[in-house]
Amino acid sequence: MEERLAPLERQSLGCMLLKKKKLNALGFDTQKFIRFFFASNASVTIIVLVLIMLMLLREGAGFLKTYKYELETYRHAGLEFCDIVDRPLAQHQQLTSRLRRALGASLDTISQHARNRRDAYLNMKRQIEEESSLQREALSVALEQTPSAGDKIIEPLRTQLAIAGVKSAMSLTVRSFFSLDEADKIRAELSQLSPETKDIPAFLKQLNDHFSTSDKAAKKSFATLVKATEIFEEAPETLQEILIEIKEHVLQTKTAANEFNTLKSGRLKLLEAAENTQNPVEKADLLKEAAATQAMPVDFHQRIKLVTSRADELAEKVHQYITAIQKAAANLPTRGSPAHAIALLDEVHHELPLHVQEMQTAADEIKTWSPDKPVSFLTVIGAFFFGSNWITNSSWQDSFGFVPLLTGSLIISLIAIVIATPISLMAAIYSNQFASEREKELIKPVIEFIQAIPSIVLGFIGISVLGDLIKDVSEVTWLQWIPGFPIQERLNMFNAGCLLALMAIPTMFSLSEDALNNVPEAYVDASDALGATKLQTVFRVIVPSAFSGMAAAVLLGIGRVIGETMVVLLVAGNRIAIPDFSSGAGVVFQPAHTLTGIIAQELGEVSRGSTHWQALFMVGIVLFCISLIINWCARTFVRRFEQFKA
Amino acid sequence: MPPSASSPKQLPPVVEFRGVDFRYSTHTVLHNIHLSAERNRVTALIGPSGCGKSTLLRCVNRMNERFVGARVSQGQVFVKGKNIHDTDVDLTQLRKQVGMVFQKSNPFPKSIYDNVAYGLRIHGVTAKDILDDAVERALRSAVLWQELKDRLNQNALRLSGGEQQRLCIARAIATNPDVLLMDEPCSALDPIATLQIEELMQQLARDYTVIFVTHNMQQAVRVSDYTAFLHLGKLIEFGDTEELFSNPKQKLTESYLRGTFS
Ligand SMILES: Nc1ncnc2c1ncn2[C@@H]1O[C@H](COP(=O)(O)OP(=O)(O)OP(=O)(O)O)[C@@H](O)[C@H]1O
Ligand SMILES: [Mg+2]
Repeated sequence: MEERLAPLERQSLGCMLLKKKKLNALGFDTQKFIRFFFASNASVTIIVLVLIMLMLLREGAGFLKTYKYELETYRHAGLEFCDIVDRPLAQHQQLTSRLRRALGASLDTISQHARNRRDAYLNMKRQIEEESSLQREALSVALEQTPSAGDKIIEPLRTQLAIAGVKSAMSLTVRSFFSLDEADKIRAELSQLSPETKDIPAFLKQLNDHFSTSDKAAKKSFATLVKATEIFEEAPETLQEILIEIKEHVLQTKTAANEFNTLKSGRLKLLEAAENTQNPVEKADLLKEAAATQAMPVDFHQRIKLVTSRADELAEKVHQYITAIQKAAANLPTRGSPAHAIALLDEVHHELPLHVQEMQTAADEIKTWSPDKPVSFLTVIGAFFFGSNWITNSSWQDSFGFVPLLTGSLIISLIAIVIATPISLMAAIYSNQFASEREKELIKPVIEFIQAIPSIVLGFIGISVLGDLIKDVSEVTWLQWIPGFPIQERLNMFNAGCLLALMAIPTMFSLSEDALNNVPEAYVDASDALGATKLQTVFRVIVPSAFSGMAAAVLLGIGRVIGETMVVLLVAGNRIAIPDFSSGAGVVFQPAHTLTGIIAQELGEVSRGSTHWQALFMVGIVLFCISLIINWCARTFVRRFEQFKA
Repeated sequence: MPPSASSPKQLPPVVEFRGVDFRYSTHTVLHNIHLSAERNRVTALIGPSGCGKSTLLRCVNRMNERFVGARVSQGQVFVKGKNIHDTDVDLTQLRKQVGMVFQKSNPFPKSIYDNVAYGLRIHGVTAKDILDDAVERALRSAVLWQELKDRLNQNALRLSGGEQQRLCIARAIATNPDVLLMDEPCSALDPIATLQIEELMQQLARDYTVIFVTHNMQQAVRVSDYTAFLHLGKLIEFGDTEELFSNPKQKLTESYLRGTFS
């Protein structure tokens, strides 16, 4: 064999030392060219990222300016003035509804029976009417015909209706409110229903009368409560009248200001165009057009005087309102009503002082309120980052508070993480350390396949399967100890969280599996040689060694969860409000909106460059920053991990 | 041809191989090994690469069994007079009795303290004072105490190679085993660290029975009391180190020692 190999050829020294002439283009040789090619690819990505950042920042910075302008108008036009009173006044409705419920419950103790009987009768009547609706309809049509259809046609229809009426009346189940005699009477009456007779059936009339007498009796015996409730309900009426007047006025101011603004910017554009054009005819046209849009700026100062001049009057009304509700509350009975009514009344008593105090401060505030207080950028930033309302397309005042979206996103992500982290870490540990080869071949591809499911498909699953499943489960009696059960909404944060968990599992699983794989075999040797069991080795050596890698895996999973849009948009329920935390952990079963969802939903509908548009960009910036921070954390974790790798 | 297995008999053997054949799933790598390691003596295993030294060493704490199909196919291994393949032998206890140090130092990425205490902890010791005592004793035995006593909470991976290897020795002896197995413990170290470990091995022989593998003849001479020479899975010669090196009985041994070995 060896002999057949040709002897190695050596080049002469001169050949080797002299630089070979290489392909030259633009002063690059191939080496440099390849290098440049790769470098440019890398820099393209970096440049794109920087551009994205700059673009987001530009739009976002614009937001602060426009939002500041909006808040200024809000103040100058006097909308703020109205809200000072209007906001706390909203509480009045809740108090009233409590009182009404208490009143209803109290009245029920006397008149419930009579009402139930009447309602049951009406229900049965409706049922029979529905069952024989075809015949009834046919008869009515025939009766209304002009010239009137002959008896020949009408008579058979009458009989048909009568037959149908008797048939359904006989099959009627009469509730236990009625005695047997009464039941027969009802059946007889109901079987004779016909569109031709307009009189109220005799028994129904009787029931009605009975109800109205017992209702009267009830109202009489709870007279104080009835009276107090009435007074309470009517207390804010005069206040509201004035408020509505003022509101109309300030709204006009605001609209005028906005109109003037659009005209102004339009005019500026026209003037600019006129400046740039060469054609004198066109120029004249443009100038004329611009002149036509000339408008007077709104005199905030003049208009607000009308508002502030009424401050004292308004404050006076607020005080009247306060006295009225306090008096009404003092007259509320503390006894005689059923227990839950009393409980409701207690709540009213309990909440009243706070409400009164809020109204009091409002009254004081409007007297000292000044429209000229400047709006600082800090206020604007605060209004965005700590604002608790995201209201758009409002006829009153838009507000772009970011907290409801953030809480939605955070709670959903938290749910997803809480579910996904243990599952994926345990799956990774199992598949890496305990599973047989065949199990590994099953587990890994299956989990990684989840990643391939389009998120819109997961959204379908959330709407059609998971939502119903959660709702059904929440109605199981022996699960009622779980806070928030039974749930109201099929589409809620928990549902979205579950699906996001599913989406995060592959990321977390694969990356933590890699981290476990990277643990040097030597650690296992050492641990085994000391007599550790498999479990001890896994949980005392392997998992701690892979800890930072696994933490990074979890963080990247979180990044995936926070950035996910489609599923939350479809499944989270999209209610823009800070969830009500008073129900404890049950809060997860409430619907919410998210940072990503709001952008996806609203960006397509808003006009470019509007405050709303810019606000959505701000949300985008925040999202971007969150992702950046998470990635950075993940990187630091991984770096720590590398450092300790043997 | 049975290998000569004449062993001096002053002390009862702690480890004893009786006609052991060992096979990995496909092929037999140890043939009919008779060998015994005396209490508080250092025994060196020498031989060309691939002759089965590591395999032999790992038979003592049954570390080979992690490979599928690897098993002792004939003969028995005794540790302290007990056949370690008996069904009533608890593997964790066996490994507590038989410590092991590897060629490449492999401290866990934990603190120095946790490294040394690991063995005790997995065997259920939780009392702080017992752990403290054991860690100090082990580190003293490994001649590390003076260097490390002030930084026990430092990560062990920051130590130098030699320190790491001595830490591994400390970790192995913290559970107070009878036998200490060392597979080429100095091959990744510089001469000075090697010397330190060699000294340490001799000191350790006061309390432990040491069996170690080496490719360094001088090291075998310097450290060991007995030497076993393996070739192609067979024990060619086993005896007093001085005797074996100065006056080998087998031709194979002689040519290996002289380096005229093909
Ligand atoms: N896990 C294993 N599975 C199959 N064969 C193995 C395994 N480990 C070692 N062997 C084989 O067993 C024989 C002895 O290996 P061993 O590691 O004991 O040799 P060694 O004497 O320690 O060599 P070295 O001096 O190079 O470390 C070798 O032929 C090796 O290929
Ligand atoms: Mg070896």
